[in-house]
Amino acid sequence: MGILPDNIKPAMQGVIPSHVVTCSAAGTPNASVISQVYYVDGDHVALSHQFFNKTKRNVEENPRAAVWLIHPETYEGWELHAEFERSETSGPVFDAMDMQIEAIASLVGMKGIFKLRAADVFRVISVKRGTGDRMPLAEIR
Amino acid sequence: MVIPDRIVELIEGEAFMQIATRSDDRWPAHAWVVGGRVHDDRRTVTVFIAAAAAQPNVANLEANGRIALGVALATHEAYQLKGSYVSSRPTTADDRARQEHYRAALLAGALAAGYPEPIARPFTLGFAYDPGIAITFRVDEAFLQTPGPAAGTPLT
Repeated sequence: MGILPDNIKPAMQGVIPSHVVTCSAAGTPNASVISQVYYVDGDHVALSHQFFNKTKRNVEENPRAAVWLIHPETYEGWELHAEFERSETSGPVFDAMDMQIEAIASLVGMKGIFKLRAADVFRVISVKRGTGDRMPLAEIR
Repeated sequence: MVIPDRIVELIEGEAFMQIATRSDDRWPAHAWVVGGRVHDDRRTVTVFIAAAAAQPNVANLEANGRIALGVALATHEAYQLKGSYVSSRPTTADDRARQEHYRAALLAGALAAGYPEPIARPFTLGFAYDPGIAITFRVDEAFLQTPGPAAGTPLT
């Protein structure tokens, strides 16, 4: 039993893209859309690293990240605070994410552009359900 | 810097937008943006976020002023602005009228990009916006963020 509840798992299916925000060592924040947040275990998630980008450089300088997810049935927002631990370029987590990225790329017309370079594994520090920026489903009109 | 025409068009159009701020101990924070406008000087932007998502972002901005704005279409065309905080205030009736226009455009854009209505409608119209906070910042840098090898290229 880890910090991540089971009912967050549907928000990690990639139906709706997730967001990750990071901060450089110099203190400049960065906002990025991310194709996939993968449930590794009760205390860890892996983020898809597809390009040599600012998110990657930032977490190598400053491991702290906030990840925003949306549940595809309730449309609730979830927020994770997490710290970068390691990058994996092979193994079961990488292989599973690679297969899922291929599927997402086909669905969204980005085949050949979305390609997994690494599975970046983060330790989850906190989980917040209900981020304040989503309305209850019954009120959406 | 002067904000490129295309980014002005997207901020005032149908782009998905989010801000990033950070605390003094460099924990980043996030909030969805529900509409925005580029001021006549083309260097200053006001974006609207839900009041319930204002903290810790406004406290971060009051403390250190650093902000990033991600701007992306459902087609994956994307940009990022980096800037310096100017001010914040509660949203007004004029802001909310702009936000209503934005919400309709956001849904139309998601549908046009091929997202099924049972997903596009609750996702795009489900962002809280009233009560809201308007955050104004000066843009210092702009970057291309469309997925691909050119992502991260500075725009002048």
